[in-house]
Amino acid sequence: MRSFVSKLLIATVVLSLLAVSLAACGATPEPQVVEKVVKETVIVEGTPEVVEKVVTEVVETEVEVEKVVTATPEPTNKIVTFAWTQEPDSMNWVYSNMWFSSILQQLFHCWAWEFDDQNLPFPRLVTEIPSMENGGLSEDGLVITMHLRDDIVWSDGTPITGEDFVFTYDMIMDPANAVASVYPYDYIASVEAPDAQTVVVTFSEPFAPWQSLLWRGVMPKHILEPVFEADGTIDEAEWNRAPTVGCGPYNFAEWESGSYMRFVKNPNYWAGEANIDEIYLQFVPDDASQTAALIAGDADLGTFPPISDVPILEAGDVKVMVQSSGYEEGWFFNFRDMASPGAKDVVVRQAIAMAIDREAINQDLLLGLTKPVETLWDPIAAAGYVSPDIEPWPYDPEAAKQMLDDAGYVDSDGDGIREDLDGNPLTLIHGTTIREIRQDNQAVTQQYLREVGIDLQILSYDSDLFFGSYSDGSPAALGEIDIMEWSDSTAFPDPDQNYWLCSELPTDENPWGYNYFGCDEQLDALFQAQITTIDSEERVAIIQEITKYMHDQVYWLGMWDDPDMWIVGPRLTNVTFSGVTPFYSIIDWDVVE
Amino acid sequence: MTRYIIRRLLQAIPLLFFISVILFVLMRSSSDPVATMGGRRVMRPEDRERLSRQLGLDQPLYVQYLYWLIGNDWTAIDVDGDGVAETPGTQRGVLRGEFGKSLVVRGEQAMDIIMERVPRTLLLMIPAEFVIILFSLVVGIFSALRQYSIADNVITAVSFVGYSMPIFFIALVSMYLFAVKFKEWGLPYLPTVGMFDPQMGKTPSQVMLHMVLPIFSIAFISIAGYSRYVRSQMLETMHQDYIRTARAKGLQESAVVFLHALKNASLPLVTIIGLDIPLLLAGAVVTETIFSWPGMGLLFIEHVSRGDVPVVMGILMLISVAVVLFQLLTDVTYAWLDPRIRYE
Repeated sequence: MRSFVSKLLIATVVLSLLAVSLAACGATPEPQVVEKVVKETVIVEGTPEVVEKVVTEVVETEVEVEKVVTATPEPTNKIVTFAWTQEPDSMNWVYSNMWFSSILQQLFHCWAWEFDDQNLPFPRLVTEIPSMENGGLSEDGLVITMHLRDDIVWSDGTPITGEDFVFTYDMIMDPANAVASVYPYDYIASVEAPDAQTVVVTFSEPFAPWQSLLWRGVMPKHILEPVFEADGTIDEAEWNRAPTVGCGPYNFAEWESGSYMRFVKNPNYWAGEANIDEIYLQFVPDDASQTAALIAGDADLGTFPPISDVPILEAGDVKVMVQSSGYEEGWFFNFRDMASPGAKDVVVRQAIAMAIDREAINQDLLLGLTKPVETLWDPIAAAGYVSPDIEPWPYDPEAAKQMLDDAGYVDSDGDGIREDLDGNPLTLIHGTTIREIRQDNQAVTQQYLREVGIDLQILSYDSDLFFGSYSDGSPAALGEIDIMEWSDSTAFPDPDQNYWLCSELPTDENPWGYNYFGCDEQLDALFQAQITTIDSEERVAIIQEITKYMHDQVYWLGMWDDPDMWIVGPRLTNVTFSGVTPFYSIIDWDVVE
Repeated sequence: MTRYIIRRLLQAIPLLFFISVILFVLMRSSSDPVATMGGRRVMRPEDRERLSRQLGLDQPLYVQYLYWLIGNDWTAIDVDGDGVAETPGTQRGVLRGEFGKSLVVRGEQAMDIIMERVPRTLLLMIPAEFVIILFSLVVGIFSALRQYSIADNVITAVSFVGYSMPIFFIALVSMYLFAVKFKEWGLPYLPTVGMFDPQMGKTPSQVMLHMVLPIFSIAFISIAGYSRYVRSQMLETMHQDYIRTARAKGLQESAVVFLHALKNASLPLVTIIGLDIPLLLAGAVVTETIFSWPGMGLLFIEHVSRGDVPVVMGILMLISVAVVLFQLLTDVTYAWLDPRIRYE
């Protein structure tokens, strides 16, 4: 027995040591990764204010590093760590819609045009953004001509040309490639490159919101074309996982699954040199752990803190920055045939809008970081598109009660819940995802509605079930929920939106339809018109009419604007974000110790 | 014994097949991988339909299972949606060693993704198991030999407190205390998340430093439970006649305890460890998530939430096979340790 135990212990110890060694050996960062340590020491020594404690710590660390690391670092690198909630699923932008994947594009990739902290577009790969005034947009709105800068190169020095754009379009549209979305490229008839610096995009019919949706990246033809020719698809291209050739201020360096991703400064970046040398993305899926890492200084940047953690973060010298990104949290009402009678009655919907104190919800649940919204169209970025005639729904429970009384909804059996003229209780089913803030909102609004005699039954689902399709039996698609809550954006900042179209109703014949709300022919006609109207004034007028109509009908009731929330540690300076291309100014970011 | 082992292995084949069917049906019925591919916006119907077709998710469930099991390289599939199956399939199937390509990390073989995580999970779980066994034995024996003493009562109280605490609570509290607060108080502190500090580089000392809190969290609850088990087994054994005989013969107390008592008391512990070992592969879902440790538990959570059938099935089948094999190994070890046990 003793020998068995001994063997077991020895084997365990050997395995452990072996595993530690193997894990530590794998993908050791380049020598410059450790170089930072010495530089920090120098800076700290020159900072008498913090001196004694910090110097002691750093000296101890330095001794430890010297014991282990053989390569002596040089004091040159500035390294920052981003706590990244979700690990990207692909580094090729056409294969991912994941937010945590797509916003990375500004680090190692490039868009034709990007957006600044006011969410206004500025040219990146093009010399100017196409418009009718500069001849980049044809009178009929069908042809967009883009002129590329002549100094843009991939990180390996190869020029970026119109051929890369043509190749990108071809790859997106090729059925052999299972890309995440072909929208809006499936509206395009052709993409041509008459010369290296010119790209001509021709639509089959006018497509107004092109600026928000086109060329959110380009693929390097010289890297991926050989892969496509060899494999018949780029689905499995190495570049999708390791885009070592990019065109952003940083180069992709390495990706250890589940652990981290590393980017180093791109020396060939034409738009300037970044101040920060290396960026680590540490994957931190747990919100509480992200908070701890930021307070402890183990991470310099985080995203979307739990609202309840904001005071703790701010007390820990960490800044929470809010940036409007077009997303709005709201209630989508189901007015299809199978919905509860109350949900289909505009009077009930209007009474609900007045029975909920949305300002209090924003102050109490979201600590005043957000504000109530009236339409799905962002009140700031899409301000011109929102009808000026919209009067925000006031919090007026007495008026709500009166409206319900007048419409015949009265509490005839004294149970606190109103009944309709047929004696059916005014019960509505509210469904959302399991996101904590939504469940909190369900509980609060349930109380508000109870006070005016409306019974709100609340349900929550995993997001893959909630957003599942009709054929998958998603309760939202099947119409089993009267009020659905989630956060969504129109194409941003240009306010396209088409899922209220009657043709998108999910049915046995159209199981992929995503109009879970209902068909309103007047609304349908307006949505049909806005997408093909190129005249900007006319289009703005149509969208304003849509916003006013939807607001008055309460087809959508806004709860709060849902901005991007960034948690910025004290080491980072010069930090600004865009709601569309968050890292548009990353080369200006810097680090202070 | 050989016949017994062969019989058990043959019995495992239909068992694993049955397990795979149940898991596949449950997995595919409860999730829609395409629904999670839209990012923050709801996916366009045209894209949803196209992706379902291109990824083979539009096929009937039994066809999907068949392709998963035996591959689809013997047939053609309709990729472009024209109703004509013209593109040869490329999947080889589980029976030919391929669990399929991940639906999340597009193009990557599920088994490659899993095998990348296995060493990191074992790196965490093997030392944790070692710590659990060691401390359970030490605490359990110590407690048993001093039954009803103050030390025994204190250990008992701490054990019950530890055993009744959820692991996420221990993990978060230890992180805030030893990483955040200790740093704030100017004490030597531990790191919060990850496997190493990017400023320091991925060195063995960094990795070991980052293992301390996760291992503490995993081990604390298990030690609390296992030590009670060891204590009770030791108490029972120490009152046996042969222990009294050993003492009467003048054997040293250490020999009585460690050679005679522990040997017999540890038999049930072998069963528990035998059950534990295959689960080491599964990682520690909560601990890995909280400490951002890139192991199997975290991989499972990330991919199950996105309905990534090939990866999730790969993990589950790997664990199933390990459970079957280690059950057998435990039975064999049991017979080896206790000569009274015979398998026919």
